[in-house]
Amino acid sequence: MLNKITGHEVDRRLLLKGAAAGGLGIAGATMLAGCAPAASGPMSFGARTVDESPTQQLEALVAAYTAKSGNEVAYNATESNAFQNNLSQYLQGTPDDCFQWMAGYRMQFFAEQGLLEDVSAVWDDIGSQYSDSYKIASTGLDGKQYFVPQSWYPWGLHFRKSMMEEIGLAATDVYNWDDMLGALKELKGQGLIGLAAADKGGWEAMGTFDILNARINGYQFHVDLLAGREKWTDDRVKEVFRHWEMLLPYQNTNVLDLEWDGAMQLLLQKQSGFFMMGSWFGGNFKEQSQEDYDDLMIIPFPEINADHGRDTVDAPLDGFCVAANGGNASVGKDFIKFAGDMEGVQAMLDTGVPMTSANNGQDKSSYDAFQVAQQAVMDEAKYITQFLDRDTRPDFAGPIIGPAFQSWFKDPSSTNDILESLQSQWDALAPL
Amino acid sequence: MKSSTTLDPVLKNAPKAKRRRSFSKRDRLTLGIFIGIPTFLHVALVWFPAAATIYLSFTYWTGIHIGDIQWAGLANYENIFFNTPIFWDALRVNVVWLIWFGAIATPLGILLAYQIDREIRGSKFYQAAYYLPVVLSLAVIGVIWNFLLRPDGLVNGLLGLEISEAVSFFGDDRYNIWVILTMASWRHIGYIMLLYLAGLKAVDASLREAASIDGATEWQSFRKVVFPTMKPVNVIVIVITIIESLRAFDLIYIIYGSSGGLPILGVLVFQNIAGEGASMKGAAYAVILFLLSIVPIIAYLRAQFKEDMK
Repeated sequence: MLNKITGHEVDRRLLLKGAAAGGLGIAGATMLAGCAPAASGPMSFGARTVDESPTQQLEALVAAYTAKSGNEVAYNATESNAFQNNLSQYLQGTPDDCFQWMAGYRMQFFAEQGLLEDVSAVWDDIGSQYSDSYKIASTGLDGKQYFVPQSWYPWGLHFRKSMMEEIGLAATDVYNWDDMLGALKELKGQGLIGLAAADKGGWEAMGTFDILNARINGYQFHVDLLAGREKWTDDRVKEVFRHWEMLLPYQNTNVLDLEWDGAMQLLLQKQSGFFMMGSWFGGNFKEQSQEDYDDLMIIPFPEINADHGRDTVDAPLDGFCVAANGGNASVGKDFIKFAGDMEGVQAMLDTGVPMTSANNGQDKSSYDAFQVAQQAVMDEAKYITQFLDRDTRPDFAGPIIGPAFQSWFKDPSSTNDILESLQSQWDALAPL
Repeated sequence: MKSSTTLDPVLKNAPKAKRRRSFSKRDRLTLGIFIGIPTFLHVALVWFPAAATIYLSFTYWTGIHIGDIQWAGLANYENIFFNTPIFWDALRVNVVWLIWFGAIATPLGILLAYQIDREIRGSKFYQAAYYLPVVLSLAVIGVIWNFLLRPDGLVNGLLGLEISEAVSFFGDDRYNIWVILTMASWRHIGYIMLLYLAGLKAVDASLREAASIDGATEWQSFRKVVFPTMKPVNVIVIVITIIESLRAFDLIYIIYGSSGGLPILGVLVFQNIAGEGASMKGAAYAVILFLLSIVPIIAYLRAQFKEDMK
């Protein structure tokens, strides 16, 4: 489905400093926002989802904005794949004034093309509520901001507490690769699937590749590989697939017949012990029942190479942009400011749909256990990557890596051929 | 072709000696509008995009600013033929699709049409049953069959299989293509049947009677008498079979998205041109697909028309 970009290093001290400053900044910024001459007129908002929980959040945000500013907002929702596929045409035509999008490379590309509004002024107003790493992720190649973050989520190993308890497996103690293989063996012994996996959508397995590569070869190699500075034919990449192959006996066999939601069902129905995915699917568990949601837990992917420990995590950042060709950019900017401001964030949080906001103002003491665990996964990491298809060229990720991983699942012994082909396809890409 | 046939009566009515028929201003205006607007639309909506696609297939472009177009020569094609294994996989699927349609689905449709034309008992019922899927678009058919055959779908549910043990109808290379072809044929057979049935209804019954009086068997009378009389319909059926097999897209897209789970040329065009991954490799795929469909059709039609001339 959706996917992710540019790796950047997060300095944890800055993050903490940002958090402290953010707390102070919120009150001031909210007051300022109240005084500024408000833009007025109707506008439209483009949501990149038709799912129940996020829709509830966004509609609450839109309602709160309308109540505050008196500006009518037309809410247009598009299924996320369709939205993504049409984005180019959408932005060149008559787009919604403000729309949901992703940070990093994917945003920078459209900013470069002049299709996004510069929202640096908005950052001047609400920037104090965000840590620097988020500002960096919101910044285009020209140094201006084009994006306002909404929420983040980490990728990690998810499991159900009750299930692990029943089996007598201390899942939170799984620290390194051997622990993980041991746990998987144990689950298999119980007749369960160790690790729920899916790749029908072509993107699901990218998360597993990202983390294996980062764990085995480190953050820098991973980023360099995705940027084309390292070769896919490198022995270090083969090592990634050698480890991946060790996981296959513990996975469900119909990986290519399941999309992410199918694999999620395996966890939901307690057929599988672990599920490697972004924590955003917690909302789907909550839609099932509060009980299922409360049962959900996440741990970082285990350490493989002690040199790198567990220092990297895929943690994509979703948020909003203002379209340059929209009808009412000034109201669009007013809206995006509201969405990024704690007041708008609070409106989304008030819906009760679980969200880990990028805004420092979110009261972390009110985090539920699952959110606390997500924060812990983030805190353990020194480096943050967005996701394979947000971190490399879009004409490489979707059309080339996606099918390559799928064919690897069909025949894991063909690793070398697949990697050679990946490299030659990278070399044949159009010059940028 | 069409416009010349519509003009014929007008031209024929004109006396030969008087070569130039004088059109009134009004006539000219009417003709201008009636020919000009469709021609303009045709050129603007068909020929221009087709020519532009061909041109763009020789360039590098992200699809946004016209000024960014860079000449690439044959690079996109080279890339496809020599560096993109999925292209050959997709081509293989398209060829299997074409052979399946040509050898199984289309003949089956013809057989059904023939049977129904003989008015066997319950033919109205069969006609309706076979024709029903044709009313649905391939996209809708994809949704229906996906619902039945997904891992958590009806069929696996009835078999009592958990998601993890479900029969992998769409994911397993051993049968996914046959599952897809069955789905596609479900509609294609009805379509061909209908076309053929319309043709058969127009065949003079006395021809068949004469054949049977001469002692022809059922098969002989179909092959030697009915089939040749149906030539115009046969041409249409063959062209439709080729086009339907090569342009296959919607069904696959509904089931697999643009992920390449079952690669097919139509999806490769889309995958390389839609979204953020836009590159003119997609345009090159489109040109390849266009050539693949147009060449056999032109060759076939030429052969047919040549025979007609004789």
